[in-house]
Amino acid sequence: MRPNPGVLTFPTQSSRGKWTVRIIGIAAALGLALTVWLGLWVTPPDQVQGDLVRLVYIHPGVAWVALYLAFGLAAVASLLYLWPRTRSLFWDRLAAAAVEVGVVFNVCTLISGSIWGKPTWGVWWAWDARLTSTAVLLVLFLGYLALRRVPAEPEVRARRSAFVALFASVDVPIVHFSVLWWKTLHQGATVLNPDLSPTIHGSMAWTLLLGFVALTLVFVWMLLVRYRIGVLSDWLGSHELEAALEERRAEGTATDEDRAA
Amino acid sequence: MGYVAAGYTIVLTILFLYGLSLAWRRRRLTRAAQRVASSAASSGPGGGRLPR
Repeated sequence: MRPNPGVLTFPTQSSRGKWTVRIIGIAAALGLALTVWLGLWVTPPDQVQGDLVRLVYIHPGVAWVALYLAFGLAAVASLLYLWPRTRSLFWDRLAAAAVEVGVVFNVCTLISGSIWGKPTWGVWWAWDARLTSTAVLLVLFLGYLALRRVPAEPEVRARRSAFVALFASVDVPIVHFSVLWWKTLHQGATVLNPDLSPTIHGSMAWTLLLGFVALTLVFVWMLLVRYRIGVLSDWLGSHELEAALEERRAEGTATDEDRAA
Repeated sequence: MGYVAAGYTIVLTILFLYGLSLAWRRRRLTRAAQRVASSAASSGPGGGRLPR
């Protein structure tokens, strides 16, 4: 068989890229395991909250990933896609990956917050500005993911998704400043609030910080894998039809040859 | 402590299952892409020549 220069080239991933993803994945798993161990067994209970403080080692971390990393990245990537000089499907795939992972972290934020709220506030849910705006954010980005499933040309899908992502991202600063703009049940900034100058036990502070780092690594790993899924999915979408047509053409040619024989 | 255990269990389970689904989707798509690429390459002269 002759070599076929026009043949499909498989979207390969470099060996360095594969190893980077693996190392980040291992670091994320170890970091998360360490956070759980420190958070559940090593750190002391809080003077006021008791054991419930242990939920604080994961709740702000997942919220940080969802709001600022995932949806922030989605907004920046969407803006870069819409900007004519930087327009590339790379930004569209990155935004899509960030939103999907962000939605998962947003769900974790709402669930962990609700579980903390029940014994602390006495209710699973309150129509508080912070909680409501976070729930609205989830609905907006679920809409973004639904829109991406509407069949369209990649460029059309990318453009309209970018507009929706930017529109949805307006809610991110609203979530952030909601505790300042309205009287909310949800507490405002505590650790980084200079007016409060809070004192926090060493192991509690380190566990909180480690939780942020570990969940950030989890996000990066998920983002890289989800981005790769986007690349493979787009490649298959554009080539499967061509491959099927080519197969039919080959079958047609073979039938004609049979008739001639 | 029951609320704490529930919180950790639910959040970690969601993250684990989503991570697992990502790995599975990547594997499935990689195999499908390899299959398409190899079938195009092996469909004979004129047969697998697809536009770039």
